[in-house]
Amino acid sequence: MLQYLIILLDRTSTSFCHYNLTPSPSDPPTPFRGRERSRELISLETLRQGIRFGMMENLMIQYVYPDCELPAEYAEVIESIDHSKIKSLPLTPPKEGRTDTDVWVTESIKDIKAEVPVVWRTDKQNLFDSEADIIKALENVPRLNVVLTDVESFTDEDFAAYKSLLEKLSKAIEQMYVNGKAPQLNLLTDRMMLQKMNNCGAGDTTITLAPNGKFYVCPAFYYEDEKDSVGDLEHGLDIKNKQLYKLEYAPICRHCDAYQCKRCVWLNRKMTLEVNTPSHEQCVLAHLERNASRELLLNIRKHGKFLPEQEEIKEIDYLDPFDRRDTWQ
Amino acid sequence: MSWQSGIAKNITFIVTKDCQLACKYCYLVGKNEKERMSWDIARAAIDYIISHEKDPIFAYESVIFDFIGGEPFLEINLIDKICDYLKTEMFRRNHHWFNSYRFSFSTNGINYDSEKVQRFIKKNHEHLSIGITIDGTEKKHDLNRIYKNSEHGSYNDVARNIPLWIKQFPDGGTKVTISSPDIPYICDSVLHLYGLGIHQVNINCVFEDVWKEGDDKLFEEQLMQLADAIIDGGYYQDYACSFFSEHIGKPLDAKLENQNWCGAGRMLSIDAAGNFYPCTRFAGYSLRSKKPIIIGNVRDGIDKNKLRPFLTLDRTTQSPKECVDCEVASGCAWCQGENYDAADTNTFYQRATAICKMHKARVRANNYYWNKLYRKLELEGEREEFEKHRLRLSEANNKREVKPEIC
Repeated sequence: MLQYLIILLDRTSTSFCHYNLTPSPSDPPTPFRGRERSRELISLETLRQGIRFGMMENLMIQYVYPDCELPAEYAEVIESIDHSKIKSLPLTPPKEGRTDTDVWVTESIKDIKAEVPVVWRTDKQNLFDSEADIIKALENVPRLNVVLTDVESFTDEDFAAYKSLLEKLSKAIEQMYVNGKAPQLNLLTDRMMLQKMNNCGAGDTTITLAPNGKFYVCPAFYYEDEKDSVGDLEHGLDIKNKQLYKLEYAPICRHCDAYQCKRCVWLNRKMTLEVNTPSHEQCVLAHLERNASRELLLNIRKHGKFLPEQEEIKEIDYLDPFDRRDTWQ
Repeated sequence: MSWQSGIAKNITFIVTKDCQLACKYCYLVGKNEKERMSWDIARAAIDYIISHEKDPIFAYESVIFDFIGGEPFLEINLIDKICDYLKTEMFRRNHHWFNSYRFSFSTNGINYDSEKVQRFIKKNHEHLSIGITIDGTEKKHDLNRIYKNSEHGSYNDVARNIPLWIKQFPDGGTKVTISSPDIPYICDSVLHLYGLGIHQVNINCVFEDVWKEGDDKLFEEQLMQLADAIIDGGYYQDYACSFFSEHIGKPLDAKLENQNWCGAGRMLSIDAAGNFYPCTRFAGYSLRSKKPIIIGNVRDGIDKNKLRPFLTLDRTTQSPKECVDCEVASGCAWCQGENYDAADTNTFYQRATAICKMHKARVRANNYYWNKLYRKLELEGEREEFEKHRLRLSEANNKREVKPEIC
């Protein structure tokens, strides 16, 4: 059931997830290959209609902002409905959260401070080199969401490096808990809190409205191919095969307990050609996180009562549920 | 049941996209004379496959190397070279498949008696499975199976080779395809094929959405006539027609009987460009409205991520509710490639249901067949003997080298 409507206020609205606004050389050909995104501000009329659609469908609206300022007349329309704002964190100091922003997106967490959750988009190498910065950031932001921008390129060596990093971060987070703090790092603390899948929900619980007045499964589908829409404001939503965005129609995921996994349907389609099937890389990363979360939960509990209502995360001997498919019924 | 069913890897060489015929029901929409496999591509494919013996993708006890087209025997020189190289390499590398391999062909039979094809058959006879496609009576056959660029039917050129084929492969089966215009000829055609000495007739309706109003009723009537003819004529003792099976027409448990029907993804197809496909039906020349699904190539190998959706696909995930709840679901087939081609989005997780009413008609006629046959056997006190005989036939079929019913 739909719950959220993401509205991209401009074609250059910041990316807050795995996709890049400008395709990388390894991406498949798209109409946009090789050129920077040009601005296309959503029209006031489209914005009004989008808000109206969200109100009629009972959807929580999330605005995604471009880096540039919006014309003054947009503020009144934007504020006409309860919403969240996702914005790019300015590179120039001060790196502190502004009160009207609900989520900051950044590509650098060095010396970061914010009063609202921060999404950090990073490639693997930068992530592996940023252990100290992550630990410091966890002291200075209420929540840090790490989003990898090169999941498809992970090798066995990278998986080992990722596992090692998670172990080190886990130790640091454990110590923070011992010291009475409750840092939130999506890679390690989310799974401890979850009792069922909590994924991205694109196409199922979330839909995106682009500046052209068309709906997309998520922003990445819009940026990859503007023709890949699933309806428009005039005719409404038309998501073909919409069941495939639901957990129960994802054979690997419905057998999985890496509940914190993003289960990114765009990455699924990019790497396996089916929106309901995750790649090996996505599964292994999610399971390394899951297993590190298990250790973290066990270690924190050694210091005292912690999340008593949460069941223990079971020990498993695989990193990719696909390898266990013969045991599914 | 095909040779080593379930424990054999199917590897298909699309050696040519050319064919002498232009059958009206053929799903190959992109046939052409240009795309012929080169020896360099064939050898590179073999080297890749044979050198990955331990890879789970190839971890099957046995292997069936399929050669298809178009018409595969148009490329008999290449095929002969491929088979020689396969044998040599499997032996040289001590590959476990050397002890359990088959070369399989589905041919239109037109140049079956040519010197080159016959020389190849003699050389590899022990390891060959060859099916000649003949659709039934001359009228039925020539309705669809016509030469390209003409309306001239191919029946006579095929039928003249049937005696030689039967002599060389007494257990050989033929594959008959039914489309809407063929329905009135089904009964006569099956009996005609029995008359030619073909004991195993594998038939299936095309999966494409070609069916007209009333086709199911006509189909049912034809199958009822066929049931009467087989039972009254005593053909059931030594002949088989895949339309009639005791295992079809039952409900299926959503959890315990949730397997995918189709083997796409477990098979591997290679085309002239050296691209790998999960099945031939995903190659460009097979698809009307979708892009091909390429899962790798002879240079870079197989992209295993692209196999994951195929290898985790099950019945209920791709089926609409009416299929999951269907009370006569067993035996209702689907083709993953046609599902993909007909789907509303670029997915093969949307089951095409064009065949639904034809399956239901088949189930009704099938029920009639078994009720009539068992009553006859009981009245004649022959049921027990029939069961024993059928068990023997079934065991023989497991060793028999026929093509699967579907695909």
